[in-house]
Amino acid sequence: MMRESAHIVVDRNVTWQGEAASEPYEVGWGKEAILFLQVLAPAPHAEPAKVRVQISPDGIHWCDEGTTLDLPSSPGDVSHARVAHFGGWLRLATSMKDGHSARVLVSLHLKA
Amino acid sequence: MGTPDPSAFRRAMLDADPRLSRFDPMSRILSFDDFDRGFCGWGQLVGNYEHTLDAMLPGYAQHSQPMLSSIGHWDAGSHGGVDGTYALKIATRPEKGAQNCAIKRLTFRKSGPIRIEAYVAAKPEANELLLSMTDVRSFGIFLDLQSMESAGASAERVMPHLRYLNAENGQLRQTWQTKRHETAFVPIGDTGDTVSHYHLSPEGWEDLADGQDRLCYNELPTKLNWTYLRLDFDLERMVPLHFQCNEKVFSPDAVGSIRMPAMKNLWGMLNFGFLVETDSDKRAFLYVDSVCISAEF
Repeated sequence: MMRESAHIVVDRNVTWQGEAASEPYEVGWGKEAILFLQVLAPAPHAEPAKVRVQISPDGIHWCDEGTTLDLPSSPGDVSHARVAHFGGWLRLATSMKDGHSARVLVSLHLKA
Repeated sequence: MGTPDPSAFRRAMLDADPRLSRFDPMSRILSFDDFDRGFCGWGQLVGNYEHTLDAMLPGYAQHSQPMLSSIGHWDAGSHGGVDGTYALKIATRPEKGAQNCAIKRLTFRKSGPIRIEAYVAAKPEANELLLSMTDVRSFGIFLDLQSMESAGASAERVMPHLRYLNAENGQLRQTWQTKRHETAFVPIGDTGDTVSHYHLSPEGWEDLADGQDRLCYNELPTKLNWTYLRLDFDLERMVPLHFQCNEKVFSPDAVGSIRMPAMKNLWGMLNFGFLVETDSDKRAFLYVDSVCISAEF
Protein backbone atom coordinates (compact mmCIF):
# COMPACT_ATOMS: atom_id res chain seq x y z
CA MET A 1 0.00 0.00 0.00
CA MET A 2 1.40 3.39 -0.98
CA ARG A 3 1.72 5.74 1.99
CA GLU A 4 -0.72 8.65 2.16
CA SER A 5 0.85 12.09 2.18
CA ALA A 6 -0.42 15.63 1.86
CA HIS A 7 0.84 19.17 1.54
CA ILE A 8 -1.45 21.42 3.55
CA VAL A 9 -1.43 25.21 3.49
CA VAL A 10 -2.78 25.87 6.97
CA ASP A 11 -2.62 29.69 6.95
CA ARG A 12 -1.87 31.90 3.95
CA ASN A 13 -1.06 35.60 4.16
CA VAL A 14 -2.26 35.81 7.78
CA THR A 15 -0.95 38.51 10.12
CA TRP A 16 0.51 37.34 13.41
CA GLN A 17 0.57 39.80 16.31
CA GLY A 18 0.19 39.45 20.07
CA GLU A 19 -0.72 35.89 21.07
CA ALA A 20 -0.92 34.26 17.65
CA ALA A 21 -1.53 30.72 16.45
CA SER A 22 -2.20 28.95 13.20
CA GLU A 23 -5.63 27.45 12.62
CA PRO A 24 -6.05 23.98 14.20
CA TYR A 25 -5.39 21.14 11.78
CA GLU A 26 -6.38 17.48 12.18
CA VAL A 27 -3.44 15.17 11.63
CA GLY A 28 -4.58 11.92 13.25
CA TRP A 29 -4.00 9.93 10.06
CA GLY A 30 -0.35 11.02 9.86
CA LYS A 31 2.70 9.53 11.50
CA GLU A 32 5.21 12.27 10.76
CA ALA A 33 5.00 15.94 9.89
CA ILE A 34 7.16 18.86 8.90
CA LEU A 35 5.77 22.29 9.71
CA PHE A 36 7.10 25.09 7.52
CA LEU A 37 6.90 28.74 8.48
CA GLN A 38 7.50 31.39 5.86
CA VAL A 39 7.38 35.15 6.32
CA LEU A 40 5.69 36.98 3.45
CA ALA A 41 6.00 40.55 4.70
CA PRO A 42 8.74 42.17 6.78
CA ALA A 43 8.73 41.21 10.41
CA PRO A 44 9.89 44.39 12.20
CA HIS A 45 11.18 42.79 15.36
CA ALA A 46 14.53 43.35 17.00
CA GLU A 47 15.07 39.77 18.04
CA PRO A 48 13.81 36.52 16.52
CA ALA A 49 10.48 35.32 17.88
CA LYS A 50 10.24 31.74 19.08
CA VAL A 51 7.38 29.73 17.64
CA ARG A 52 6.11 26.66 19.49
CA VAL A 53 4.67 23.47 18.03
CA GLN A 54 1.47 22.64 19.93
CA ILE A 55 -0.65 19.51 20.24
CA SER A 56 -4.20 19.10 21.50
CA PRO A 57 -6.61 16.46 22.80
CA ASP A 58 -9.59 18.03 21.03
CA GLY A 59 -8.62 20.97 18.81
CA ILE A 60 -9.82 23.37 21.51
CA HIS A 61 -7.29 23.05 24.35
CA TRP A 62 -3.57 23.23 23.49
CA CYS A 63 -0.23 22.45 25.07
CA ASP A 64 3.37 22.83 23.90
CA GLU A 65 4.77 19.74 22.20
CA GLY A 66 8.32 20.80 23.07
CA THR A 67 9.65 21.59 19.60
CA THR A 68 10.33 25.23 18.72
CA LEU A 69 11.33 27.05 15.56
CA ASP A 70 12.33 30.61 14.76
CA LEU A 71 10.08 33.10 13.04
CA PRO A 72 12.17 34.03 9.99
CA SER A 73 13.14 37.67 9.89
CA SER A 74 13.24 38.20 6.13
CA PRO A 75 10.53 37.73 3.50
CA GLY A 76 11.04 34.49 1.64
CA ASP A 77 13.02 32.82 4.42
CA VAL A 78 11.62 29.55 5.72
CA SER A 79 12.02 27.77 9.04
CA HIS A 80 10.78 24.30 9.84
CA ALA A 81 10.13 21.77 12.58
CA ARG A 82 10.04 17.97 12.25
CA VAL A 83 7.62 16.23 14.59
CA ALA A 84 6.24 12.73 15.12
CA HIS A 85 3.92 11.02 17.61
CA PHE A 86 1.70 14.08 17.80
CA GLY A 87 -1.79 12.60 18.21
CA GLY A 88 -4.74 14.17 16.42
CA TRP A 89 -3.98 17.88 16.14
CA LEU A 90 -1.13 20.26 15.32
CA ARG A 91 -0.70 24.02 15.26
CA LEU A 92 2.00 26.66 15.65
CA ALA A 93 1.77 29.32 18.37
CA THR A 94 3.86 32.32 19.31
CA SER A 95 3.85 35.41 21.50
CA MET A 96 4.77 38.47 19.45
CA LYS A 97 6.17 41.44 21.31
CA ASP A 98 4.13 44.63 21.48
CA GLY A 99 4.26 46.44 18.17
CA HIS A 100 5.66 43.46 16.33
CA SER A 101 3.82 41.61 13.59
CA ALA A 102 4.52 39.36 10.64
CA ARG A 103 2.55 38.18 7.62
CA VAL A 104 3.04 34.42 7.44
CA LEU A 105 2.46 31.32 5.35
CA VAL A 106 2.16 28.15 7.47
CA SER A 107 2.30 24.84 5.67
CA LEU A 108 2.37 21.27 6.78
CA HIS A 109 3.75 18.19 5.05
CA LEU A 110 2.06 15.16 6.53
CA LYS A 111 2.83 11.51 5.84
CA ALA A 112 1.09 8.38 7.07
CA MET B 1 -33.91 -18.92 -18.22
CA GLY B 2 -34.43 -15.50 -19.76
CA THR B 3 -31.78 -12.86 -20.31
CA PRO B 4 -31.12 -10.90 -17.10
CA ASP B 5 -32.37 -7.31 -17.12
CA PRO B 6 -29.11 -5.29 -17.36
CA SER B 7 -30.40 -2.47 -15.17
CA ALA B 8 -31.65 -4.87 -12.49
CA PHE B 9 -28.34 -6.73 -12.62
CA ARG B 10 -26.44 -3.45 -12.26
CA ARG B 11 -28.61 -2.35 -9.34
CA ALA B 12 -28.08 -5.71 -7.66
CA MET B 13 -24.32 -5.27 -7.97
CA LEU B 14 -24.55 -1.79 -6.44
CA ASP B 15 -26.76 -3.11 -3.64
CA ALA B 16 -24.23 -5.84 -2.88
CA ASP B 17 -21.46 -3.25 -2.39
CA PRO B 18 -21.89 -1.61 1.03
CA ARG B 19 -19.92 1.44 -0.14
CA LEU B 20 -22.25 2.14 -3.09
CA SER B 21 -25.60 0.73 -2.06
CA ARG B 22 -26.44 3.97 -0.22
CA PHE B 23 -26.20 5.85 -3.54
CA ASP B 24 -28.31 5.89 -6.72
CA PRO B 25 -25.66 6.68 -9.32
CA MET B 26 -26.29 7.30 -13.00
CA SER B 27 -24.88 4.77 -15.46
CA ARG B 28 -21.21 5.83 -15.16
CA ILE B 29 -19.60 6.53 -11.79
CA LEU B 30 -17.04 9.29 -12.38
CA SER B 31 -15.75 9.23 -8.80
CA PHE B 32 -16.52 7.70 -5.43
CA ASP B 33 -14.85 9.52 -2.55
CA ASP B 34 -15.04 7.95 0.90
CA PHE B 35 -12.09 9.82 2.51
CA ASP B 36 -10.63 6.67 4.00
CA ARG B 37 -8.47 6.81 0.85
CA GLY B 38 -7.27 10.37 1.29
CA PHE B 39 -8.67 13.67 0.05
CA CYS B 40 -9.89 12.15 -3.25
CA GLY B 41 -9.30 15.43 -5.08
CA TRP B 42 -11.24 17.71 -2.71
CA GLY B 43 -9.14 20.80 -2.04
CA GLN B 44 -9.16 24.46 -1.33
CA LEU B 45 -10.95 27.08 -3.43
CA VAL B 46 -8.14 29.58 -3.61
CA GLY B 47 -8.90 33.08 -4.85
CA ASN B 48 -7.36 34.60 -7.97
CA TYR B 49 -4.33 36.88 -7.58
CA GLU B 50 -1.57 38.59 -9.50
CA HIS B 51 1.82 39.68 -8.16
CA THR B 52 0.71 39.61 -4.52
CA LEU B 53 -1.62 37.55 -2.35
CA ASP B 54 -3.02 40.87 -1.09
CA ALA B 55 -4.85 41.10 -4.42
CA MET B 56 -7.09 38.18 -3.43
CA LEU B 57 -10.69 39.11 -2.61
CA PRO B 58 -11.37 38.90 1.16
CA GLY B 59 -14.00 36.21 0.67
CA TYR B 60 -11.39 33.90 -0.83
CA ALA B 61 -8.58 34.96 1.50
CA GLN B 62 -10.43 33.32 4.41
CA HIS B 63 -10.59 29.94 2.67
CA SER B 64 -8.38 27.09 3.83
CA GLN B 65 -7.77 23.47 2.97
CA PRO B 66 -10.14 20.73 4.13
CA MET B 67 -8.98 18.07 6.59
CA LEU B 68 -9.37 14.33 7.02
CA SER B 69 -11.15 14.04 10.35
CA SER B 70 -12.11 11.20 12.67
CA ILE B 71 -14.55 13.77 14.14
CA GLY B 72 -13.04 13.77 17.61
CA HIS B 73 -14.90 15.54 20.40
CA TRP B 74 -13.64 16.61 23.81
CA ASP B 75 -16.44 14.79 25.64
CA ALA B 76 -17.07 11.68 23.56
CA GLY B 77 -13.94 10.97 21.52
CA SER B 78 -13.92 10.00 17.86
CA HIS B 79 -17.28 9.89 16.14
CA GLY B 80 -16.07 8.40 12.86
CA GLY B 81 -17.63 8.60 9.41
CA VAL B 82 -20.66 6.98 7.81
CA ASP B 83 -18.34 4.04 7.44
CA GLY B 84 -14.66 3.83 8.22
CA THR B 85 -12.78 6.31 10.36
CA TYR B 86 -12.41 9.46 8.28
CA ALA B 87 -14.64 12.16 6.81
CA LEU B 88 -13.73 15.28 4.87
CA LYS B 89 -13.94 18.28 7.21
CA ILE B 90 -14.41 21.87 6.04
CA ALA B 91 -13.80 24.41 8.84
CA THR B 92 -14.45 28.14 8.96
CA ARG B 93 -12.43 30.57 11.03
CA PRO B 94 -13.94 31.57 14.39
CA GLU B 95 -15.51 34.85 13.27
CA LYS B 96 -19.22 35.46 12.71
CA GLY B 97 -19.94 35.27 8.99
CA ALA B 98 -16.74 33.39 8.12
CA GLN B 99 -17.08 30.92 5.26
CA ASN B 100 -15.10 28.07 3.81
CA CYS B 101 -15.59 25.49 1.09
CA ALA B 102 -13.99 22.50 -0.58
CA ILE B 103 -13.90 21.96 -4.31
CA LYS B 104 -13.28 19.12 -6.76
CA ARG B 105 -12.31 20.06 -10.29
CA LEU B 106 -13.09 17.94 -13.37
CA THR B 107 -14.08 18.56 -16.96
CA PHE B 108 -16.71 16.69 -18.94
CA ARG B 109 -16.39 14.83 -22.22
CA LYS B 110 -20.05 14.89 -23.19
CA SER B 111 -22.81 17.38 -22.47
CA GLY B 112 -25.22 15.09 -20.67
CA PRO B 113 -26.83 14.64 -17.25
CA ILE B 114 -24.62 14.48 -14.16
CA ARG B 115 -25.43 13.69 -10.53
CA ILE B 116 -23.68 14.41 -7.25
CA GLU B 117 -24.78 12.57 -4.11
CA ALA B 118 -23.27 13.00 -0.67
CA TYR B 119 -23.79 12.42 3.03
CA VAL B 120 -23.05 15.54 5.08
CA ALA B 121 -23.27 16.84 8.64
CA ALA B 122 -22.84 20.44 9.82
CA LYS B 123 -21.88 21.21 13.43
CA PRO B 124 -20.36 24.11 15.37
CA GLU B 125 -17.09 23.82 17.28
CA ALA B 126 -18.03 22.35 20.66
CA ASN B 127 -16.30 24.94 22.82
CA GLU B 128 -19.34 25.80 24.94
CA LEU B 129 -21.48 23.50 27.06
CA LEU B 130 -24.60 24.61 25.20
CA LEU B 131 -26.89 23.23 22.49
CA SER B 132 -25.41 25.75 20.02
CA MET B 133 -28.08 24.97 17.42
CA THR B 134 -27.98 28.43 15.84
CA ASP B 135 -24.19 28.75 15.65
CA VAL B 136 -23.87 27.34 12.10
CA ARG B 137 -25.36 29.84 9.65
CA SER B 138 -25.44 27.65 6.58
CA PHE B 139 -24.03 24.78 4.61
CA GLY B 140 -24.56 23.96 0.99
CA ILE B 141 -23.52 22.65 -2.37
CA PHE B 142 -22.61 24.40 -5.61
CA LEU B 143 -21.47 23.56 -9.12
CA ASP B 144 -19.28 25.65 -11.40
CA LEU B 145 -19.84 24.66 -15.02
CA GLN B 146 -18.98 25.98 -18.43
CA SER B 147 -20.12 24.73 -21.81
CA MET B 148 -17.63 23.14 -24.14
CA GLU B 149 -16.32 25.23 -27.01
CA SER B 150 -18.55 23.26 -29.40
CA ALA B 151 -21.58 25.02 -27.89
CA GLY B 152 -20.60 28.04 -29.97
CA ALA B 153 -22.46 31.29 -29.39
CA SER B 154 -24.72 29.71 -26.77
CA ALA B 155 -21.78 28.77 -24.52
CA GLU B 156 -22.13 30.06 -20.96
CA ARG B 157 -20.75 29.66 -17.47
CA VAL B 158 -23.42 28.39 -15.08
CA MET B 159 -23.10 28.14 -11.31
CA PRO B 160 -25.97 26.42 -9.48
CA HIS B 161 -25.91 27.35 -5.77
CA LEU B 162 -27.89 25.82 -2.92
CA ARG B 163 -27.49 26.39 0.78
CA TYR B 164 -29.38 25.36 3.87
CA LEU B 165 -29.81 28.54 5.90
CA ASN B 166 -29.85 27.06 9.38
CA ALA B 167 -29.77 30.32 11.31
CA GLU B 168 -29.29 34.02 10.74
CA ASN B 169 -28.23 36.40 13.50
CA GLY B 170 -29.10 33.82 16.12
CA GLN B 171 -32.57 33.04 14.77
CA LEU B 172 -33.36 29.60 13.33
CA ARG B 173 -34.35 29.76 9.63
CA GLN B 174 -34.05 26.07 8.53
CA THR B 175 -34.71 26.97 4.90
CA TRP B 176 -33.07 25.99 1.63
CA GLN B 177 -31.94 28.94 -0.45
CA THR B 178 -30.56 29.49 -3.92
CA LYS B 179 -28.77 32.22 -5.82
CA ARG B 180 -29.41 33.62 -9.28
CA HIS B 181 -27.77 37.02 -9.43
CA GLU B 182 -24.24 37.42 -10.67
CA THR B 183 -21.74 38.89 -8.24
CA ALA B 184 -19.78 41.75 -9.74
CA PHE B 185 -16.47 40.80 -11.32
CA VAL B 186 -13.48 42.90 -10.35
CA PRO B 187 -10.14 43.06 -12.14
CA ILE B 188 -7.22 41.46 -10.29
CA GLY B 189 -3.73 42.85 -10.80
CA ASP B 190 -2.65 44.95 -13.76
CA THR B 191 -2.15 42.60 -16.70
CA GLY B 192 -5.78 42.43 -17.75
CA ASP B 193 -5.60 38.63 -17.66
CA THR B 194 -7.34 37.98 -14.35
CA VAL B 195 -10.73 38.80 -12.84
CA SER B 196 -12.48 37.49 -9.73
CA HIS B 197 -15.94 37.40 -8.18
CA TYR B 198 -16.92 36.03 -4.78
CA HIS B 199 -20.00 34.04 -5.74
CA LEU B 200 -20.44 32.62 -2.21
CA SER B 201 -20.98 36.07 -0.69
CA PRO B 202 -23.84 36.44 1.82
CA GLU B 203 -25.75 38.69 -0.57
CA GLY B 204 -28.30 37.58 -3.12
CA TRP B 205 -29.64 34.37 -1.58
CA GLU B 206 -33.37 33.78 -1.92
CA ASP B 207 -35.61 31.20 -0.25
CA LEU B 208 -36.57 28.14 -2.27
CA ALA B 209 -40.29 27.67 -2.78
CA ASP B 210 -41.33 25.13 -0.13
CA GLY B 211 -37.77 25.40 1.19
CA GLN B 212 -38.53 24.84 4.88
CA ASP B 213 -36.76 21.67 6.01
CA ARG B 214 -36.11 20.52 9.57
CA LEU B 215 -32.94 18.45 9.68
CA CYS B 216 -31.51 16.31 12.46
CA TYR B 217 -29.19 18.51 14.53
CA ASN B 218 -29.34 16.24 17.61
CA GLU B 219 -29.02 17.33 21.24
CA LEU B 220 -25.38 18.37 21.62
CA PRO B 221 -22.80 19.95 19.32
CA THR B 222 -20.86 16.69 19.70
CA LYS B 223 -23.63 14.40 18.41
CA LEU B 224 -24.01 14.39 14.65
CA ASN B 225 -26.20 12.62 12.14
CA TRP B 226 -25.59 12.31 8.41
CA THR B 227 -27.93 13.87 5.85
CA TYR B 228 -28.26 12.73 2.22
CA LEU B 229 -28.00 15.32 -0.57
CA ARG B 230 -28.49 14.83 -4.31
CA LEU B 231 -28.26 17.32 -7.16
CA ASP B 232 -28.74 16.42 -10.83
CA PHE B 233 -27.87 18.81 -13.67
CA ASP B 234 -28.14 18.60 -17.45
CA LEU B 235 -24.90 19.85 -19.01
CA GLU B 236 -26.48 20.05 -22.47
CA ARG B 237 -29.36 22.39 -21.65
CA MET B 238 -27.56 23.72 -18.55
CA VAL B 239 -30.61 23.28 -16.33
CA PRO B 240 -31.13 21.54 -12.95
CA LEU B 241 -32.96 18.22 -13.05
CA HIS B 242 -33.37 17.22 -9.41
CA PHE B 243 -32.54 18.43 -5.92
CA GLN B 244 -33.13 16.29 -2.87
CA CYS B 245 -32.33 16.35 0.84
CA ASN B 246 -33.19 13.09 2.58
CA GLU B 247 -36.85 12.43 1.67
CA LYS B 248 -37.60 15.95 0.49
CA VAL B 249 -37.47 16.50 -3.28
CA PHE B 250 -37.59 20.10 -4.46
CA SER B 251 -38.82 21.34 -7.80
CA PRO B 252 -35.80 21.62 -10.11
CA ASP B 253 -37.26 24.90 -11.39
CA ALA B 254 -36.64 26.34 -7.93
CA VAL B 255 -32.90 25.68 -8.12
CA GLY B 256 -31.24 28.88 -9.26
CA SER B 257 -27.95 29.36 -11.05
CA ILE B 258 -25.67 32.32 -11.52
CA ARG B 259 -25.28 32.57 -15.31
CA MET B 260 -22.81 34.58 -17.34
CA PRO B 261 -21.15 34.52 -20.76
CA ALA B 262 -18.50 31.84 -21.26
CA MET B 263 -15.04 32.79 -20.03
CA LYS B 264 -11.88 32.41 -22.08
CA ASN B 265 -10.16 29.71 -19.99
CA LEU B 266 -12.92 27.53 -18.47
CA TRP B 267 -14.15 25.35 -21.39
CA GLY B 268 -15.86 22.15 -20.28
CA MET B 269 -15.37 22.92 -16.59
CA LEU B 270 -17.11 20.56 -14.17
CA ASN B 271 -16.49 21.71 -10.61
CA PHE B 272 -18.28 20.52 -7.48
CA GLY B 273 -18.20 22.36 -4.14
CA PHE B 274 -19.44 22.17 -0.58
CA LEU B 275 -19.65 25.29 1.59
CA VAL B 276 -20.15 26.15 5.27
CA GLU B 277 -20.65 29.43 7.10
CA THR B 278 -20.68 30.32 10.80
CA ASP B 279 -23.22 32.58 12.49
CA SER B 280 -21.17 33.01 15.67
CA ASP B 281 -17.61 33.70 16.74
CA LYS B 282 -16.81 30.00 16.73
CA ARG B 283 -15.78 27.68 13.93
CA ALA B 284 -18.46 25.94 11.87
CA PHE B 285 -17.66 22.51 10.44
CA LEU B 286 -19.13 20.65 7.49
CA TYR B 287 -18.28 16.95 7.44
CA VAL B 288 -18.70 14.95 4.23
CA ASP B 289 -18.61 11.14 4.02
CA SER B 290 -18.98 10.10 1.26
CA VAL B 291 -19.51 11.55 -2.26
CA CYS B 292 -20.56 9.79 -5.45
CA ILE B 293 -20.40 11.70 -8.75
CA SER B 294 -21.97 10.00 -11.76
CA ALA B 295 -23.08 10.78 -15.29
CA GLU B 296 -25.45 9.48 -17.94
CA PHE B 297 -22.70 9.29 -20.55
